[in-house]
Amino acid sequence: MARPAERRTALWLLAGVLLLVAAALLTILSEGGPPVRARPAVEFPRHLRAPEYQRMERRAVLPPAPPAGPRGDGPPPSRRRDPLLAALPPDPSRSVVVFEANALRHSRLGELFLGCLGEDDARVIEELRRLGIDPLKDVDRVAVMPEGLAVSGFFGKARWSELMDGAEPARYGGEGSLYRRPGGQPVAGVWRDQLLVLASSPEAVRAALDRVEGRAPAAPPIPEDATYGEVYGVLPGEALRALVPPGASGDLGARLAEVASRVELHADAMSDVAVTARVSGQDRAALEDLARALGAALAVARVEARASGDQELVELLDHARVVRGGEGFSLELALPAETLERWFAGCRERAGSPPRGRPQP
Amino acid sequence: MSALLVAADLLREARSRRWTLALAGAVTLVLAAVAVGLRLEVVDGALAATRLFGGSLDTDIRSVDVALRPFFAATSWLVFFGGTVFGVVAVSDFAPSMLAPGRVESLLALPVRRWQLLLGTFLGVEALVLGGAVYGGGGMTLLLLAKTGVWNPGPVLAAAMAALAFAPIYAVMLGAALLVRSAALSAAAGFLLLLAGVVAGERGPIASAFEPGTARAVFLALTAPLPRLTALARAASDLAQAKPVAAGPFLGSALGAALFASAALSLAAARFERKDF
Repeated sequence: MARPAERRTALWLLAGVLLLVAAALLTILSEGGPPVRARPAVEFPRHLRAPEYQRMERRAVLPPAPPAGPRGDGPPPSRRRDPLLAALPPDPSRSVVVFEANALRHSRLGELFLGCLGEDDARVIEELRRLGIDPLKDVDRVAVMPEGLAVSGFFGKARWSELMDGAEPARYGGEGSLYRRPGGQPVAGVWRDQLLVLASSPEAVRAALDRVEGRAPAAPPIPEDATYGEVYGVLPGEALRALVPPGASGDLGARLAEVASRVELHADAMSDVAVTARVSGQDRAALEDLARALGAALAVARVEARASGDQELVELLDHARVVRGGEGFSLELALPAETLERWFAGCRERAGSPPRGRPQP
Repeated sequence: MSALLVAADLLREARSRRWTLALAGAVTLVLAAVAVGLRLEVVDGALAATRLFGGSLDTDIRSVDVALRPFFAATSWLVFFGGTVFGVVAVSDFAPSMLAPGRVESLLALPVRRWQLLLGTFLGVEALVLGGAVYGGGGMTLLLLAKTGVWNPGPVLAAAMAALAFAPIYAVMLGAALLVRSAALSAAAGFLLLLAGVVAGERGPIASAFEPGTARAVFLALTAPLPRLTALARAASDLAQAKPVAAGPFLGSALGAALFASAALSLAAARFERKDF
C-alpha cells in the first residue's frame, strides 16, 4: 500500500500530465489555419510613381508645341505632348477629371463593378462592340470636362458614321474629322482614331483639335506630373461647395469655396481605393484653420456614425485624415478592398438582374 | 483560504522589497513622463497637433482614437513584454527565499498544506504582477482620458492579458526553484519559457521552415502545449487599439496558458510533496 505522500505525488503528477495534454489539445484546436498576416497599410497617391512615369512617357506622342512669343520666336518647348491632355480646355477655373478607364476596368473595383452589370448594360456593350468599339478593351482614358468628354483609346475598327447616326465626316486640320449628327447636337471630333472629343458645340470640338495639332496654345489644366492614380483631375475651389453636404459643421462647404483656390484630386483603385484631395490657396492661416475644421468634422462624423451603428461609414472614416504640407493640405480617404468586396457582395441579386448577359472581358 | 493567506503574506513581504518598489517607481516614472511631456491638441475629437517634450511632431489631423492607435499598440507591447521581463527579474527570489533553510521549516510547521503554500506563493506573485500592470495600464488610460477626452480601456485589458501571460512563466519559475533553490536559475527558467512561448506563438510559420517529416513533427509536438505568448501579446495590442479580436483563437490561447500554468503548478506540487527539508 502506497504511503499518502506518494499517493499525493502520483496524483499531482497525473494531474500535471493531463493538464499539459489538455493545454496542447486546446491550443491546437483553437489555432485553426495559419495566422493571418497583417494587411499592408493603404497607400495613398501622393506623387508620380515609376509605372506612372513610364505610362506618361509612352503617351507623349505629339511633337512639342510650336515656340511661344509674339512672332513664334520664344524658346521652343522641349517635351513631347500627350494628345488627351493637350485637348483639355486650358481654363483653370473649370473642373476636369480624367478616368484611367482601362486600368480601372482591370482593378479590383472594376472587377466588382463589372460583376454587378445587368442585362441592359451588357446589351449596350454588345452594341458598341458591333460598331467597332469594345468599351472594355479599346477605351484607355476618359476625361470629363464642362464642354463634354474626351476619350482616348484604340478606335481603328470603329464605324464612326454608324455610331454618329449616319453623320458624314468632314476633314478638319491635319488628321482630324468632325461629325455632326443630323439633329445638330452633340458634335464629335476624331483625331487619328486615337482620340474622340464629344462636345455640345462645334467650336469646343474644333478648339480641342486645334490644341492637339498645335494650331492653338495648349496649357493642360492637369500638368503631366500630376497624372498619377487611376482617377485624377482638378476642381476649382468653388466646386467644393457642391461636394460638402449643406448643414455640415460650420458651413464647411462655403468656407472651403472661399479659402481653396484649387483642388487636385487623385485616386488609386487597383486594390484598395485611396483618394487624395490636395487643397491649395493663398491664405495659409485660413487654410490651416480649414484643415483643423475639416479634421474635426471628420472626427465628429465618425463618432456620429459609431453612435448610430453605421459600421460602413465608420470604416470609411477610420482611414480619413487631413495631412498638412506644401501650399495647403490634403484630405485622404480610403476604402480597403475587403470593405469594397463586402459592399458589392450580392449586388446583382439586390439589383434583381439575372446573371446572364454579363459582358465577356 | 489558507492559500489566500499565504498570498496576502507574500504581498506584505513584497512591499518592503527593492524590486517591488522599483517596479512601482518605473511605472510611475513612465506615467509622469507621458503626463508632463505629451501635449495633445484635440479639436472636436480630432487630433490636430502633438508636442512631445516641447518638440512638435508631424501629426496628421484625424480622429483622436484612430490617431492614437499606434501609441496604444506600442504601450501594450511595452507593458506585455517589458512587464514580463521586469516581472521575471523582480519576483525570481520569492520562491527561493520561501524555501530557504529555517524559513521553509517554519512554514511547514503551520497548519498549511504544501500545495497550499505553493498556490499561495503563485497567487501572491500573480496579484503583484496584475497590480503593477493594471496600475500602468489604468494610469495610461486615465492620462489619455484627461488629455483627449477619449475613454479607451484597452491598456487596462492589455495589462490584464500581460498578467495572464505571466502565469505559466511564474509557474515554471516556481517549479525550477523547487528543483534547485536558486533565484538565477528560477529567472533563467522564466526567460526560457518566455522565449519558448514566443516561438510557440509563431510555430506555424517556423514549422514550415522544416522539411516535412520527423523534424517538423518533433518541433510541433514539443511546442504544442506551450503557451502562445505572441498570440496573447497580439490580442492585447488589438484590444488596446479597440480593434476586434477573433474570439476562438484568443480564448484558446488564454485558456491554453491557464492550463499550462496549472500543469506546471501540479508538477511543482508533485515535486514539493516528495521533497525533504
